[in-house]
Amino acid sequence: MADKRSVGHAYNIDFLNVVFAASSLFVLFATIWMVWDDYDREWKNYQRQFTALEIEVTRAGLAAAEQEVDQARVAELAAQRDSAEQRLLADAEQVGELEAQLAEVNRQLFVATQAFNFTKAEYDVNRYSFEVRREDAHSEGGGDDEHEVDGEDEVSAQFEQWVSEGLEVERLTAERDQLRAEIGTFTADVDAASRELASLTGESERLQGVVTDLQPSLVDDYLLNAPLLDFMAPTLTVRQVITPNVVDDVNFIRVPKMDRCQTCHLAIDRVGYEDYPQPFRTHPNLDTYVGSASPHSIETTGCTVCHEGMGQSITFTDAAHSPATEEQVVDWEERYGWEESHLWDYPMLPSGMAEASCAKCHNGEVFIPEADKLNLAYGMYERAGCYACHKTVGFEGLRKPGPNLTKVASKLDETWVSNWIRDPRAIKSSTWMPRVWYNSNTDGPEDAVRNEVEIDAVVAYLFENSSEHELAIPFPGRGNAENGQRIVESVGCLGCHIVGAEEREASGPRRTFGQPLQGVGSKASYQWLFDWVRDPRHYSPDTYMPDLRLDDFEVADVASYLSTLTGGDGIAATVTYDAAEVDAVLLDYMRAIVPYEEAQSAIAELSPRDRQLDLGRRAIGRYGCYSCHEIAGFEDTQAIGTELSQEGSKLLPQFDFAFVHDIPHTKRDWIDQKLRDPRVYDRGRILQPLEKLRMPNFGFSDAEARLLTTAVLSFQRDVQPKEAQVPRSARKDAIVEGRNLVRRRNCVTCHEIEGDGGDFRELVEDPSLAPPLLTPEGAKVKPDWLYAFFRGPITIRPWLEVRMPTFGLEDDHWNDVLGYFAAISDTVGPFRTHETAPDVATGTGRDLFDLLRCQQCHVLDTIPDDQDVANLAPDLRMARERLQPDWILDWLIRPLDIQPGTRMPTFWTEYPGSFYPQFDQDADAQIESIRDYLLTFSGGPSPVQGN
Amino acid sequence: MDALKSFIDLFADPRLFFLTTVVALVLIVWKRETFASDRWGWGLMGFLVVFFGFGLFDENFKLIIGKPDNVPIVALIFLLLFFTWFSMREAVRNDRRLSAGEPPIEKDEEDRVWTWPDLVYTELIAMVLCTVILIVWSIGLEAPLEQPANNANTPNPSKAPWYFLGLQEMLVYFDPWLAGVVLPSLIIVGLMAIPYIDNNPKGNGYYTFNERRAEVTIFLFGFVVLWSSLIILGTFLRGPNWNFFGPFEYWDIHKLEALTNVQLSEYIWVRWLGMALPGNWLVREIFGIILTIVYIGVLPVALAKKGLTGYYEKLGPTRYYVTVLLFLSMMSLPVKMLTRWLFNLKYVVSIPEFFFNI
Repeated sequence: MADKRSVGHAYNIDFLNVVFAASSLFVLFATIWMVWDDYDREWKNYQRQFTALEIEVTRAGLAAAEQEVDQARVAELAAQRDSAEQRLLADAEQVGELEAQLAEVNRQLFVATQAFNFTKAEYDVNRYSFEVRREDAHSEGGGDDEHEVDGEDEVSAQFEQWVSEGLEVERLTAERDQLRAEIGTFTADVDAASRELASLTGESERLQGVVTDLQPSLVDDYLLNAPLLDFMAPTLTVRQVITPNVVDDVNFIRVPKMDRCQTCHLAIDRVGYEDYPQPFRTHPNLDTYVGSASPHSIETTGCTVCHEGMGQSITFTDAAHSPATEEQVVDWEERYGWEESHLWDYPMLPSGMAEASCAKCHNGEVFIPEADKLNLAYGMYERAGCYACHKTVGFEGLRKPGPNLTKVASKLDETWVSNWIRDPRAIKSSTWMPRVWYNSNTDGPEDAVRNEVEIDAVVAYLFENSSEHELAIPFPGRGNAENGQRIVESVGCLGCHIVGAEEREASGPRRTFGQPLQGVGSKASYQWLFDWVRDPRHYSPDTYMPDLRLDDFEVADVASYLSTLTGGDGIAATVTYDAAEVDAVLLDYMRAIVPYEEAQSAIAELSPRDRQLDLGRRAIGRYGCYSCHEIAGFEDTQAIGTELSQEGSKLLPQFDFAFVHDIPHTKRDWIDQKLRDPRVYDRGRILQPLEKLRMPNFGFSDAEARLLTTAVLSFQRDVQPKEAQVPRSARKDAIVEGRNLVRRRNCVTCHEIEGDGGDFRELVEDPSLAPPLLTPEGAKVKPDWLYAFFRGPITIRPWLEVRMPTFGLEDDHWNDVLGYFAAISDTVGPFRTHETAPDVATGTGRDLFDLLRCQQCHVLDTIPDDQDVANLAPDLRMARERLQPDWILDWLIRPLDIQPGTRMPTFWTEYPGSFYPQFDQDADAQIESIRDYLLTFSGGPSPVQGN
Repeated sequence: MDALKSFIDLFADPRLFFLTTVVALVLIVWKRETFASDRWGWGLMGFLVVFFGFGLFDENFKLIIGKPDNVPIVALIFLLLFFTWFSMREAVRNDRRLSAGEPPIEKDEEDRVWTWPDLVYTELIAMVLCTVILIVWSIGLEAPLEQPANNANTPNPSKAPWYFLGLQEMLVYFDPWLAGVVLPSLIIVGLMAIPYIDNNPKGNGYYTFNERRAEVTIFLFGFVVLWSSLIILGTFLRGPNWNFFGPFEYWDIHKLEALTNVQLSEYIWVRWLGMALPGNWLVREIFGIILTIVYIGVLPVALAKKGLTGYYEKLGPTRYYVTVLLFLSMMSLPVKMLTRWLFNLKYVVSIPEFFFNI
């Protein structure tokens, strides 16, 4: 560098001053903006809005409370109080003197109490230090020898002082109470009137107080919540619950959930906001959720364990709200600037799907009370046979959902079968059998030949490998179809079978438990139908179809009727092909597993027929027909589908949307789309035939797809700790086992149990002629009678047309059902004997029995012939063997509670009082006497062997 | 419009992108008189503004440049262009003065100013403005938070912090021990060594190009082409599965690239000599090993004898060899890139027996 020159200025200082001024202003504005940005939160506005709403609702409550108050009584009481106060004035001098005395005694009491407390404190200190000194001296002295330590006398003296001060306190307290009582004799009237006034107007005054507190106030709204001051004691605050036993899995650790949903959903646990728009609406089911007395209170359960979403977040989008409909998407985008959140792996379940979360804690249960959608979804999952291809925990070890095909040749002909599998729903609109060929990735004209080749090969394989079926009665006579129809419509067939072209969705999984009977006459021969109806197990040993104990004439009637149900030819093949096409397809299959040359020579060795059969076997293996049907040669083959046991926990990136861009890229939409069109994710891709997706199409409706999506989303890995789960117990296990069983055997289509099922009851005109409700069964009947009844049902109500079928279950299963009934009635436990009094037969019980005219409706050997059948009631001679003695009492007291809709009258409406004079109008004694009288009957029908 | 977008997407190919940046550098250095004009400087900045403005109308483009992580890199593009242009303009001005026999501009200026107010005041203003920028930035751009980390679901693409994207790009061409350990260490050591290697006093305290042609060009190549532009490339053009995506292209996770790379040993033994690969690794890789030894051992000596004799004499043996070794290791990246692109060459030396690849 060159020589140094003078010191100068680099900048114009005046200009720098301007720049500095401007940048200072910028920093000021930026800071204000920052504070405002931090202050201005979505949730605060909701809390402000809610305050206005709360005032409105509380005012309405206040008005209602004031309405309820008896104003005349209030005025009367006020007048009473005023006049009592007037009277009190007359004694003012006396009262004044007493009050002065009271004040003096209170002062003395205060001083005495303080002295008493001080002495006690000092005594405790001195006693402790004395104890320590004595202990130290003792250990220094070698342990045994007594060493005198000074101070014991002082400690005892202090104790004496404390005791005497206590006596003084007691004396003054007594004196004070005495004075108060004396004053009370003067003011009693005023106090009584005031108390009653307060109890009358208490609620409205409380509400008035709430309204006053909620009113806008300068301090609350402008000072405590002001920007930069709101760190002290704001009234607008984030509200959260932390649930120690319900956790979030953040992959490397599980942390208690922290749900801040209530920050905006302010009325979620408050009654009275049911009709206001979100976020201020009350939870629709406070008895089961959120409510503090419910089993899922918000303090223990929180929100997001059921609804999913990000509980910590307090903005609409980040909380991962999920829209249920496309309209909602548009609405939310407009109102909240909503977009799919990518900050949380488990977005909220859209409204109506939250029940998918029940299974997180209620795992392994196919029926969860109150979870109506999930129960229906599980029923559908089972009926559609999803579990057969897709292994699913909780659905293992079930029978294959489709009919047994090992003897198919004796039942069906080849044309019908190929038309059937070409499109099952073209023949039966309500079938659960899906369409395997001609789906969205195989319905092009270029696929037709291949489809037909495979269909024919599969049919050929099934018929070639079909074994002989020997009909029990080879040439049954024809019956009366009209009578058959009457039997089908009345004995209970319709509980599981639908006859016409009803929609599957409308009928539901319980009514479609058995094969739909639409077109069954065109499908199977009369001989086969007769054989099947006569004894289903003869053809299919593991069928769930029970035996309705029809005699052979009735069977002939039913089979004749079924033969008249013709129609439904289905769709015939539209293309033909030659043998070379079969070879080509077979070569494709074989090349996937062996080298080309080997495949070719293997095919060359086979006859054309064997080639077709081999192709049939391979096609059945590829499409997994054997997952649902018993097929010879596939007894031990594994199911073909992806396991779904934890599908709900799978993360979004693990779902392949391929070129499907017209649905939202969320997990639920992927599953929903897959259910509607199982091959959709092949769209736009170039695939060789064996690379294509192969899940068949069930033709699910919107509602069915939505329910099944809920079911699939409910299959989750275990995240919640044991403390969050329903505690295990023998009773609980019995309930779960029983609930599974009565659903898997479809008992619930005829019987309503725990408020669920009873579809068949709707088909019966009069509810009293329908199968009974079974919720109270465990308390009602004796288990040994019920066991015998299950094994060999007897007719309890001969006037009913519907029958209890014989299910032929194993003892294990019957014991599960018995345990289940006992568990829901809470009668698991000790056996009881019941001794009836020796002379009941002639005593008051009999008088009452006659007086109440029990025999007017109840059968006693003979059926009363002057009664409408709907009024008839079971034979009372069965009571001793069948009914639990305690239950009879309960039944007599409150029949309508036990069996809503029963025609049994409630005789003791004033229970425990009684209208009847016997036993000094003691209802319990009267009821017991009737019960004991009933238990003297015998000789009725009995399922128990030897009776 | 779509044709224009497709044309721009075409440049997202790493070969074209790299070629474009190299050509741009050559043009800047060669035609610096033109480049240094105000018209070009502001014109290029204007072009960038128009490009990004136009791009914002495209969903995919907006998504990738609007990510809070990437916004600073957009600023980096502007700053990089501005400072390259600005230094070049100053250098060209000074070169004109120097060739006319005048001193550089910096010498005519006063070399001392007052601490107060000139220094302290401007520092204060800079501080205040920095605060403003940081506040506005933190309000305007959300923190780029993601869902809870999950070892079963790692981000795709998994990108290093922006300043390491150049290194991550090197991993495409080199084994981790080279791209992740040796080369980064050499970068640091090399940067530390510069003051000791370069004892040329020219250009101290003033901008110039003519007096330091080689140094400025090598720096621009190393910093702008090999470092900064690879960061830009890594930020905007590398998508899922580390595939290349044009700025207007949808990041399709299913996009495939044919990976058909071949080892040098396979080229020589199988294709040229028509033999099976030898079983012994030393025999198999002998050509690659010789080539590597020639590159780092023989080439510097040969260059000292012929080609860079002037430098060898000016710097002396120690400085010369250190410089050439550093330069050659820097050049190994473009060399490896070119061989990969032209010949699908995977590794020059590949000894999986020892997990050793070059």
